[in-house]
Amino acid sequence: MSADMLAVAAAHCTETSAHLHSGCGYPAPGYPGSFLYGPLFQIGSFTFNKPMLLAVICSAIVIAFFWAAFARPKVVPRGVQNIGELGILFVRDQILRPMMGKRGDGFLPFLVALFFFIWIMNIMEIIPVAQFPANSEFAFPAALMLMVYGTYNYLGIKTQGFAGYFKNMIPSGVPAGILLILAPVEILQYILVRPFTLAVRLFANMFAGHILLLVFTLATWYLLVAGIGLLWSATSFILTVVLTAFELLIQALQAYIFTILTAQYIGGALEPEH
Amino acid sequence: MAGDSQNAGWTIFSYLIAGMLFYGGLGWLIGHFSHIALLFPIGALVGLGVGVFAVIYRYGRS
Repeated sequence: MSADMLAVAAAHCTETSAHLHSGCGYPAPGYPGSFLYGPLFQIGSFTFNKPMLLAVICSAIVIAFFWAAFARPKVVPRGVQNIGELGILFVRDQILRPMMGKRGDGFLPFLVALFFFIWIMNIMEIIPVAQFPANSEFAFPAALMLMVYGTYNYLGIKTQGFAGYFKNMIPSGVPAGILLILAPVEILQYILVRPFTLAVRLFANMFAGHILLLVFTLATWYLLVAGIGLLWSATSFILTVVLTAFELLIQALQAYIFTILTAQYIGGALEPEH
Repeated sequence: MAGDSQNAGWTIFSYLIAGMLFYGGLGWLIGHFSHIALLFPIGALVGLGVGVFAVIYRYGRS
């Protein structure tokens, strides 16, 4: 094929039209192509896009679910209240109690909301039509992290005092020389690395998951031609199914890890470790 | 508590990053003004060492 024929072919190459032997390369997913969405509508300079819509829908789902479950609670739970209690008891017994003990029970609503919101947001990755985990845009995990960061720093300063809070970050009973080397690392670990890793862990996992699913979904379509490509297409399809199941696990796991670390940080603020 | 050992891995990871960040940053800052570029990687390595030391100090003795 000559150079301008290739250029003509490239002009028609989109994710939906590109196929093997059509002169189009594999339309590899990536940033920003697979992550940035145009505005759905615009109010002044504020644009509202698909990830925002998903976040709104997800919070509505969480609110509606728990509303349906506990608007008229019965002593003997029936129907959706059963599932709601199962969810709340899971967060209480697997996340809150091991990290904070009974004292932390006041934070149960916060942790339940956090866990289920993140989980539903992540599940949107594999729901048809939605097919996008809003947490793969860094702003969403960062906003959740800021909420957690504000909460545990406020509680830490409130219960231990401003000076005491920073003093408790540093290990006690350490020789002065070692203290001078360790103290900056400890403080930096508390105030900078901790919140940053909390947000990045969720963001990076959902970002990678979205790309992973796209790679094999697009490959299935790209390789779907008469001939040997059919075999490769089928292989990609099987991998897509397997990875979708894998992502289902990751989604729940990341929501769990985010919530359990939140519980640990809040617990640590209420009761210093050293 | 049981959860502490479960999440020790994440904390250890944070220590290593924090060590590299602080001492690497310190090395970079001094290197930037004294025009010795090598101080940044040296600082980062020292920081990694300090991070490992901090982890041993916190978890190794119990």
